Formats: sequence, C-alpha cells, structure tokens
Amino acid sequence: MNDQKISKINRRSFLQIAAGAATLAGVGLPQTAQAGTDSQLSTLIDLSLCDGCTDRETPACVSSCKSINKDKIPKIVDNIPEPWPRKTIEDWSKKKEVTNRLTPYNFIYVHKAEIEAAGRKQIIFVPRRCMHCDNPACATICPFSANHKMKNGAVVIDQNLCFGGAKCKTVCPWEIPQRQSGVGIYLHVLPSFMGNGVMYKCDLCDERLKEGKLPGCVEACPRKAMLIGPKKDMEMLALERARQMNGFIYGKTQNGGTATLYVSPVSFDLIGKTMQKKPGQPDMKQEVKRRMAGTDNPAKAVLIAPVLGLVAAGALGWFSRRKEMVKKEDNDNG
Amino acid sequence: MVDKILTEKNLVSRHSMLELAEHWLIAISGLILFFTGMFELPMSNRYYISSVPGLAWSADFITSLYIHYFAAIIFIAAGLFHLVYHGIRGENGMIPQKGDMAASVTIIKSLFGFGKEPPMSKYLPEQRLAYVGMAFIMAMLIISGLVKTYKNIYAPDMSLTIVLWATWIHNIFFILFFLAFLAHMAAIALRPNWPMVRGIFTGKVRLDYARHRHSLWLADIEKVEAVPVVPEIVLPVIDAEPLPELQKPPQEELLTPIAGEPAKINDETTKQEISKD
Repeated sequence: MNDQKISKINRRSFLQIAAGAATLAGVGLPQTAQAGTDSQLSTLIDLSLCDGCTDRETPACVSSCKSINKDKIPKIVDNIPEPWPRKTIEDWSKKKEVTNRLTPYNFIYVHKAEIEAAGRKQIIFVPRRCMHCDNPACATICPFSANHKMKNGAVVIDQNLCFGGAKCKTVCPWEIPQRQSGVGIYLHVLPSFMGNGVMYKCDLCDERLKEGKLPGCVEACPRKAMLIGPKKDMEMLALERARQMNGFIYGKTQNGGTATLYVSPVSFDLIGKTMQKKPGQPDMKQEVKRRMAGTDNPAKAVLIAPVLGLVAAGALGWFSRRKEMVKKEDNDNG
Repeated sequence: MVDKILTEKNLVSRHSMLELAEHWLIAISGLILFFTGMFELPMSNRYYISSVPGLAWSADFITSLYIHYFAAIIFIAAGLFHLVYHGIRGENGMIPQKGDMAASVTIIKSLFGFGKEPPMSKYLPEQRLAYVGMAFIMAMLIISGLVKTYKNIYAPDMSLTIVLWATWIHNIFFILFFLAFLAHMAAIALRPNWPMVRGIFTGKVRLDYARHRHSLWLADIEKVEAVPVVPEIVLPVIDAEPLPELQKPPQEELLTPIAGEPAKINDETTKQEISKD
C-alpha cells in the first residue's frame, strides 16, 4: 500500500521535474522514466544549470535541507562525556549556522570552483553531499548496522542505533558523515569507553520519499539543476546531457558506482583541482576505487567455506572408512 | 579410534593428529576472528592499539576485514569438517549425556574440596556441556557471519530486518564467544585439569592420571583392546594355550571405582606419579 503510494506520487513528482528538465536539456524524456520508482533511484546534478543561488544568502538546496532537518538532532547533553583514552569531542551544536561545509547540522553545501579553461575564466558551482554509493562501505561494515542502504538507494543512518565511532567516515572516500558528540545511544551504555555520539549525513530525504515527496534539495532548486528518478533513466539522461554539452559525468564509476550523477560542461579534473580535501569539505578526484572490492573474493571464499568443510569431511570419512574395511578384510583373511 | 594405552610410556593416546589439527585450526582462527572483530568495532585507533609497533594495520578496517575473512574460511571449514567427519564416524564422546548437569555440579564442588569426583569417561560431563555450548555459539556466529558476508558482496540493500538480526546475533555471540573462551581458559587453570593440557598439544595424557580420573574411559579402551585378541580361529584348537590377556580379570579391577572407591593402583610408577600430583 505504502509502496504503491510512493510509486504513484513519485512518478508524478518525477514527471513534473523531468518535464522541466527535458525542456531545459532540450532532450526527450525517456519512456522508461515513467515506469515508476519501485527500483533504485538516482539523482542527477547538472552543473551547467546550478548557479549557486548567488542572488540568495544561502543556496536554496542548502536552506531547504537545513529547514527539513532542523529538529533532527535531539538536544545535546550539557556535559558531553569525555571519551577515554582518546579525548576527541566533536560538538557542532553551537555552530548550527555553518553552511560552507558538511557538519552534523548541514548535510549539503555548494562549492564554488573558479576555473580557467581554454583561456577563459569560468565559475562552476558544485553542490556536495553524500553520493549514496551503490555498494557503500560506510553502511556494509557499520558494526551495528546503524547505517544501511535502502531499496531505493538511499544510504541512511539510524541515529537511534549509531554509536558515533566514525568508522563510516573513515571508510568513505569523501569522508562525508559528520559526528555530533553528546547525543545518541552511547550515552546510555558506556559513554566514556564506547562510542562518541552519532554520525549524520544526507539521507536523500528517505522519509520524504516514503511520503511521496521529493528530497528537499531537489524540490527547492530554482533552476531544476537537481533531478531524481529511476537509476537507469537518470543514467541515460546524464549521458544524453553530457553528450549534448560535450561534457563530463562524475559519480557513475567512482567508488564502484553511486546514485549521484554530476554532469558538467567542464572536466572534473579541472573542478577537482579547485577542491582541497579538508574536514567537511570533500575533494572530487576522478580515481576513487571501492577499497572493499578487494575483499569480495575472500568473502566469496567464506561463503563456500561450509561446502569445503563438508566435502573434506565426506572425502576423508570415506577414505578412513575404506582403510578400516581393507584392514578388517586383511585381518579376516589371516 | 585413536585411544590406546601405552603402558611402557605411562601414556594414553587421547586425540588423533586430525583432532589436534581441528582444535588448533578452530582455536587460532577463532582468536584471529575475535581480535579482528574487535578492530572492526572500532577500537584500535581509539585505544591506541594501532600505536603499538607492528599493529598499525589494525586501524585500517579493510585490512582487518581481509584478515577476518581469511580466518573465517578456516573457522567455518574446520568447524563443519569436525561436525560432519566425527558425525559420520559415530564419534559422539563429546555429546552430553543424561545426568551431565548433576555430575558437573558434583565435579565442580569436588574441585573446591567438597565431596569426591565420580568416575569419569574420556570427557568430563562439564566438558561435554561446554562443547555443545561452544558449538552453538560457533554456529550462531557462522550463520550470522555468512548473512553479513553475503550482504557485503551481493546485497547491500538487503532487508534491514534481516541485517539487524544478523548483526546483533553476531555481536552478542561475539561476546559469548569471548566469555566461553575465558571459561575454557579458567578450566585449564584448575589444577586437577592440568594433565589434560598436554593432551591437546601432544595428543597423549599420562596413564596414571587417566586411570585415576578417567577410569570409565580406560575400561572402555581395555575392553576394545581385549576384543581383537580373542582368537576366533584359534578357539577350536583344543591344545592352544590360554592367552595371558584372557587370564587377567581386568573388569573386576576397573569396575571398582564405579562403586565410588578410588581406582586401585598396582603399578609402582603410577603410584609415584599420582603422589607427585
């Protein structure tokens, strides 16, 4: 019932956005895009359309995201327990207004890239947030499964289960999740010895998607620079737009593939050079390997290990039984 | 069956090489899984474990995961092998028997000087109970670990309910595994159990110890060893001399401890060995 509703409303929402997008891009909307959103979703961020909302104090996507999530984090305890032995405390509760980087209170920011290409200066605005990877290490190796990839592709942290160990941030190639200390389940377990708060990041407005609404950033963008729809359709649209503008795509292959596709008329090599990795400000390197891919083969061996054990037991059991029978026969024969 | 009395060496074979290999493969891979599991929690960086020379790798979750997977291959394969191989062969000496719970209480009380130990077979009643407990813990860790592994490769968007069950079973049984390991070590630390320690390294325990504490086991071995000596073909030969083994009345002696009395010690060497204990 809920799924049907999501499918129905998302289809309508998608069509609204996609129709505008199609007009702006000058391309036809693929028919498959109307097939609903039961499958995995993807977002498209068209950098040729994003103007960074320079006419506003805060970019629309950022202010919409902040507004939607303003009450997400519960009140932080007055005396945040000091973790032991490493005494790192991260408290952003008094800096909620920060919008130029990722924080537990700010899940998206817009980077301004000043680029000189082909002898002319260009300014490209790049909204940065969680990429919602296809196989996100941040979620798969979360020790408490507080971070999980949903069927629609949204990678969501459950703040009621997260201990704030920041493992997700360490394994994320862009170090997206941000920690807020003094909140979360760890306060009720062993606050000084285990955990250190809760990790926060963009969840693709998963709750809004369930209600049939669009993610805040997508809905708020005045230039329709952000779109959301079925992954395959978004990939086709991204390819089509990149082809039309003789441009580039970022996010399709990085970290094993993501559900965020940037399309840009300027190469991401040049854009990436304007980004220096800093806390809360990810870079945009072309080469982003999914490190966990290397563990896939040992993991497959783990899955067949029970068979190895069974076959070895069967073979050795048969062999030893036969040996005993031969011995018995020899004894019987004198 | 490997169990054999080696009178001249004052030893009894208790474990085959295969059983020793199974035990140590499971034990070592289990410990590696335990430590790399802790590093996945994450603990290494926070507790400066990664600052210890040679352990810098422990702060890298992907490296720990590689090691965790390699150890899991051995742990799972050896565990399944043990279960199936000995199951096929009908070697069920470690399966709990009726009355093991009550006997365990009696034995534990005796360790603290209350009452006497009852005569015991190859494995102590509490060993049999611990074995099943550890097997259950291992089974839960393996099943939940396999679900998590499958998710990591093929289905990161697996049902959250299944993932949460697998994760929390894995985490809870990880703690139970550690507690069971501590209990295992505590059992070894008890003086009366010391002679069994050499068994898990060499496969053999002292005969005098076995005769003193595992009289039912020795009775079983002697029964088995006596059987093949009965010469089926030789029997019809009227002039045949009675075999020395058949002249011995081992059952009478060996049954004595069952009645609650300590085993009779005829051998001088054995007597001395026990008195050393």
